[in-house]
Amino acid sequence: MSTLDWLVLGSTLALIIGYGTWRTRREGQSLDGYLLGQRQAWWGIGLSIMATQASAVTFLSVPGQAYADGMRFIQFYFGLPVAMVLIAVVAVPIYHRLKVYTAYEYLEGRFDRRTRTFTALLFLVQRGLSNGLSLYAPALVLSAILGWNITLTVWLMGGLMIAYTVSGGTRAVTVTQHGQMAVIFAGMLAAGYLLVHYLPAGVGFTEAMQLAGHQGKLNLVDFHFDPKDRYNFWSGMTGGLFLALSYFGTDQSQVQRYLAGRSITESRLGLLMNGLLKIPMQFGILLIGVLLFVFYQFNAPPVSFDQALLNQVRSSRVGATILQDAQENHDALFAAKRAATLDMVTALRSSDPGLVAAAQTHTQAVDAALAGQRAAVWEALKRVTATKEGPATDYIFLTFVLKYLPRGVVGLLIAVVLSAAMGSAAAGLNSLASTSVIDMYQPTRPGRSDAEYVRVSRWAAVGWGVLGIGFATFAARLENLIQAVNILGSLFYGPILGIFVVAFFLKNVGGRAVFWSAVVAQALVLLLFWRTDIAYLWYNIIGCVLVVVGSVLGKADQPAAA
Amino acid sequence: QPPLLPSWRAWYWLVLGALTAEIGFFVYLTRL
Repeated sequence: MSTLDWLVLGSTLALIIGYGTWRTRREGQSLDGYLLGQRQAWWGIGLSIMATQASAVTFLSVPGQAYADGMRFIQFYFGLPVAMVLIAVVAVPIYHRLKVYTAYEYLEGRFDRRTRTFTALLFLVQRGLSNGLSLYAPALVLSAILGWNITLTVWLMGGLMIAYTVSGGTRAVTVTQHGQMAVIFAGMLAAGYLLVHYLPAGVGFTEAMQLAGHQGKLNLVDFHFDPKDRYNFWSGMTGGLFLALSYFGTDQSQVQRYLAGRSITESRLGLLMNGLLKIPMQFGILLIGVLLFVFYQFNAPPVSFDQALLNQVRSSRVGATILQDAQENHDALFAAKRAATLDMVTALRSSDPGLVAAAQTHTQAVDAALAGQRAAVWEALKRVTATKEGPATDYIFLTFVLKYLPRGVVGLLIAVVLSAAMGSAAAGLNSLASTSVIDMYQPTRPGRSDAEYVRVSRWAAVGWGVLGIGFATFAARLENLIQAVNILGSLFYGPILGIFVVAFFLKNVGGRAVFWSAVVAQALVLLLFWRTDIAYLWYNIIGCVLVVVGSVLGKADQPAAA
Repeated sequence: QPPLLPSWRAWYWLVLGALTAEIGFFVYLTRL
């Protein structure tokens, strides 16, 4: 990173966080001001919802996934717009009219205290443990590529994020998210434009798309149902729909965004804005990955995008020699590949099917030779240095940014990654603090002053922030633990959604039936997880259906409640 | 009474219609 990059990065983050903190310096004077702040118009709600969902992983991994495996990942979002409509119709009016601060607060009036506490606890456990990971994941990539100290990076990001969240509450999170979204859009547009600009003369956007299409990267829709794969049309419309219903309808980190709407109308429009823009936004990020793939048809990619792995290989003399020998051989082969790809562009422009087929056969032959050489290099490396090629999708986009993009733009794109990380982690932290004070502290200590509740939620934010980052730093040494936390979320989501579905639609089911159904459903989901190998995607639907069925069966032997 | 469109139902159909159009466009690109 050059001095200019540091300047762009530092001033961008300082401006966003400084402005957000200054604008919201008076929000802690009442509990309402701290938990929801000045109410928002639809566009503010919509941007905040999108910034909460888009974490750093979105911008680091998604282009890499498209580079490696095409655009099929978009299918998991097909259920999201449907979920936005359902939540706008059903949940928004109820939450607004009851003037709740958290989704779980509604459950006490509808069922009982026990159901509310149970649901809030499930949320606190899974969000509290996973929230720090959304800061740790990008810190890991930045430390691998830029050589930053990982502990310092994660605590610096976390410290800034905790500071503005504690200081200005929900409104500070929202105001900074708006700035963060502006940086994110600017950075991604700049990266996309420069990628096309860097393609060889005569290869424009259209030719790039044709090349990508012929290489199977435009695999946007697959109608073959495979229950083990979340990236097909049917999984997206079912599993993706239920996940979006859980996340946007019952997860406080999202619910708090649209509770801050000025009216039902503004909250609804904010959700619908997300429903209209989310798929195009993901398409854009995946498109950057596809353009990256085309770019590397003309510019030789590194032996591995995983810089740390390469350094490890080079640290042994044998490894360094293997890499150097391979490089010379590779350069000659890659020159042939570049020429073959340019021939392919010429053939595509001629629209002569015979020419295209011949060019494609030629390109495939060169690609096969390159892949063979690459496999041989890794085989040799594995033998002498015990390293093996891992999936490096997280590193592809950032490696390109650092090597090819001009000074200043690099700083902007690092700011994109850090902004996305802080924006979604701050929303998570802010919702953990709200749930702690509204669903845990206030019910046991009612009637205290606003000042006390604000103080408690500030300390809760500090506590959850430090716990989340501390846990992520600890869990980083245990790969399985990180996976376990992510799985935990998908195991808890189903029963929580089931409780809310019963609350919204089965008006004659009371607290006792739904509580015990949820406890049994949660136990069954955990049992299924230990005993079967169902894809995580389906636990959400199974848990939800179990609670609904259990509640209907259970209410037969109890008096109806409110 | 939502802004811009005559009813909420119209807004919901707009979102679902946009989703259908997006999927249609993606199917076209995939089949191409």
